[in-house]
Amino acid sequence: MINRRLLALLVGLVLASPALAQGTSDVPRNETLIVENPEGTIKNAGWFNIWATNAGGRSTGLQQLTMDTFWYIDPDHGLDGVWDNSLASEPPIYNADFTEMTVKLRPGLYWSDGVEFTADDVIFTINTHMNTKGLVWSAPVQLNVDSVSAPDKYTVVFKLKKPNSRFHALFTVRWNAMWMMPKHVFEGKDPLKYDFNPPVSLGSYVLHGYDPNGQWFTWEKREDWQRTSLARFGEPGPKYVTYLDPGPPDKRVIAQLNHELDIIHDTSPEGVFTLVKESPTSRGWFPGFPYGHPDPTLAQVIFNNQNPKFQDRDVRWALALALDIKQIVMAGYRGAATISAIAVPPTGTHPEFYHKPMQEWLTNFELDTGKKVIKPYDPNMGREIADMLRPSMGDQIPTDPDQIDNAFGLGWWKQDLEAATQLLERAGFTKRGSDWYMPNGERFSIKVVVEGEARPVMTRGGSMVAEQWRRFGIDATTESAQASFLTRRNGGDFETIISWSVETWGGHPDLSFFLDSWHSQFLSPPGEVQTPRNWSRYSNPDLDKIIEEIRGTAFDDPKGIELGKEFIKLAVEEMPVIPLMSYNVFTMMDQTYWTGYPNAEKDPYTDPVPNWGNSRAMMVRLKPTGK
Amino acid sequence: MRRYLLYVAKRLAQFFLVVFIGISLTFFITHLTPIDPVEQMVSSMTAFGNTSPEAVKMMREALQELYGVQGNLLEQYFTYLSRILVLDFGPSLSAFPTPVSVLIERALPWTIGLLFTCTMLSWLIGNMLGGLAGYFRNSRILKVLGAVAMGFHPIPYYIIAFVLLILFGYLWPILPITGGSGQNIPQGFTFEYITSVLSHSILPALSIILVGIGGWFLGMRALVSNIVTEDYVLYAELGGVKRSRILPFYVIRNALVPQITGLAMSLGAIFNGAIIVEQVFSYPGLGRLLIGAVYSADYSLVLGVTAISIIAVSASVFLIDILYPLFDPRVQLT
Repeated sequence: MINRRLLALLVGLVLASPALAQGTSDVPRNETLIVENPEGTIKNAGWFNIWATNAGGRSTGLQQLTMDTFWYIDPDHGLDGVWDNSLASEPPIYNADFTEMTVKLRPGLYWSDGVEFTADDVIFTINTHMNTKGLVWSAPVQLNVDSVSAPDKYTVVFKLKKPNSRFHALFTVRWNAMWMMPKHVFEGKDPLKYDFNPPVSLGSYVLHGYDPNGQWFTWEKREDWQRTSLARFGEPGPKYVTYLDPGPPDKRVIAQLNHELDIIHDTSPEGVFTLVKESPTSRGWFPGFPYGHPDPTLAQVIFNNQNPKFQDRDVRWALALALDIKQIVMAGYRGAATISAIAVPPTGTHPEFYHKPMQEWLTNFELDTGKKVIKPYDPNMGREIADMLRPSMGDQIPTDPDQIDNAFGLGWWKQDLEAATQLLERAGFTKRGSDWYMPNGERFSIKVVVEGEARPVMTRGGSMVAEQWRRFGIDATTESAQASFLTRRNGGDFETIISWSVETWGGHPDLSFFLDSWHSQFLSPPGEVQTPRNWSRYSNPDLDKIIEEIRGTAFDDPKGIELGKEFIKLAVEEMPVIPLMSYNVFTMMDQTYWTGYPNAEKDPYTDPVPNWGNSRAMMVRLKPTGK
Repeated sequence: MRRYLLYVAKRLAQFFLVVFIGISLTFFITHLTPIDPVEQMVSSMTAFGNTSPEAVKMMREALQELYGVQGNLLEQYFTYLSRILVLDFGPSLSAFPTPVSVLIERALPWTIGLLFTCTMLSWLIGNMLGGLAGYFRNSRILKVLGAVAMGFHPIPYYIIAFVLLILFGYLWPILPITGGSGQNIPQGFTFEYITSVLSHSILPALSIILVGIGGWFLGMRALVSNIVTEDYVLYAELGGVKRSRILPFYVIRNALVPQITGLAMSLGAIFNGAIIVEQVFSYPGLGRLLIGAVYSADYSLVLGVTAISIIAVSASVFLIDILYPLFDPRVQLT
């Protein structure tokens, strides 16, 4: 009798197990796209005022599905080209000296509560930021905008305080941008204290529900989705989109294996290998190695150029030549990396604009060590990495040379310890036994600051950098900064740090996105906090000239690409940072319920990394599988 | 009675002193860490989008003003002390302008619900079985249980938790492995929500109880094994008192005194235990809140959570101190 009861209980448990594991709700699974929100659990879940500084979540679907602004630049190729006029009907119109910008708005767009979006909303958004300190975009608006006016319902004219040929960048989404506020909702409210709950949407989705504890947010397709800017590309596929905190990387992998998480934002290389092996429906940006999406962000060894140890260009070059990129790639990404020798990430359209055209110059680049002249560039390093991985990874490694170049990158510097030795000796360093000593007689030691467990691939890569310098005779150690990483990086409290000071639009070749901040006018004295993104605290009059010329050049002027190449050449010659590889994000997509994800080989229409505002483009391409 | 009141007054003074020192230490430790909350916020805001260096400088100044982190350390300390008297921890820096107390109120029920229940269950089951094992020393079943308890007890908590995760989350995926409740189930007193909360608490609860039982079991078995050899137990048995009366009233009752002390200490320390269990299972309680606050340098929130923890542990010790003399007449009032 007892056995029968026990058996019945077990059968009941097995039958009820899917319900126990997933729970029940009014949101059908096959109509819902489930996405990881890398922000994790949101402390202040009921806060949707995205204009207030870090008050609530942002990539909970809020910025991807409900926000909109004038323009988007896709980090890859875009639904219909890289540049997208979203709320604006055409690109920005500048006057001759870049002191005025006119924006023509797209008519027929509505907020989710039925009110039309017009120039009044833009004027309100700008004036609110001009009159309020401490909003996310208050500072750039107050610094740039002298006045804003609306000659008619669909035209806005910005008069600027000083010439700025890149003012439109403030309203151009690359991850995010300054979003438009609904005047009729915010009018009369304190923009710093109003929670904007429920949010009135200008995107294709509205809030369906959220967990007060901040673990999930679900958005529902607007019934009037045709009255949003994204409708130009068709109807969004998923009726519901849930953004959630699935926990640490191992749990994300388990959730996708159980088909409970359609898009993993990022996981470890090992997690990807498990998914590739165990889940036939999971795929990455690349169909095989290196799977991950190369972000328009460049992982680097960043020297603190204000530290006397690294002020000699010969020392920086010696340290670069002491490295073996293959070992760094293996340590950091288990081989799944896309390398770059130049200070531009090998992603989006950059290989076409920069990496491939510069191959010849790089191959012929000569470095005089004082005792010999070498050509340090190996144009086939990416292919060598592919060959190195092929015995263990088999058909996961592409064989087509173009595919290898896209996936693994082109070339890098050959490890040349003899040249590195000559450069250090020319800089006044001496080697006693197997140890290097600085010109002042002290042991040459370098601390490599890494982020720690929060960013394991970069940490492992940094450890390998230190290891290789140690083998070369330098007293190199790694230091895990953990939560103090950003404070230390920004404050210049490091000798070298593994991070990135180069980030680009990805799809557009203009480099001002990061390069403008490298101008010496923004350089902080040692010990003071540096403003983003010149973490290497590098300055050079030649670099200033390039930046100033870019400032005077229109955004789409092809001259900008030539100036970009000038910067790249200068960065190679001076080596203020050692570029390593793009920051690959291991976004994994499960095709059990949805198809049409962006991918490198056939349809790179957008960045699949789902916390980007640009990832809204996925919604119109995703189709249900019918499961 | 007067002697007892004097004893309580002394203990009360000790309680306030411990709380004051604990909170002051926490204040200075958090404020002396190398993490700058404004820098964390600025980095977070400028990590992706386009922001000019001049604008970032301006943003930094605006945030320092907004967060009220402009005064020197001592000024901030005295402001903090005056606020804490009315349990006002100020606004959270990483969820500004929401008050810290609101965030704590939201997380506290989850921590107490899970940790309190599990601590009580571990204590009850562990002591009950331990008492039986100590008394019925020849029982085979209880010997096996003793071996199991000894086996589980030394295993680190997180190992058990990960084993459970793999077993019931992947190999036989019948239980949720993350969160406090299922997605798209609105919070409320509905059958769906309550069953969802219960199913989400099974794995974290099981991991706490499996590890927790062992300690109580072994402690109680050792205590009872000693007590059963005492003369008064022997006389009771020889006098014909039934075993069903001897065990609870002669043995367990005497063995319970140190176990009650242990329970009070464990209840006070549930906030410490919350950190690991909530991290492993992404459970939405105070532990997760604290870790998030540390990583974002939100020291208002760190101080709020740790102050609650300090007060809880100190209050537990205070309660034990003042109740002990009432339970155990052997305790000297000094």
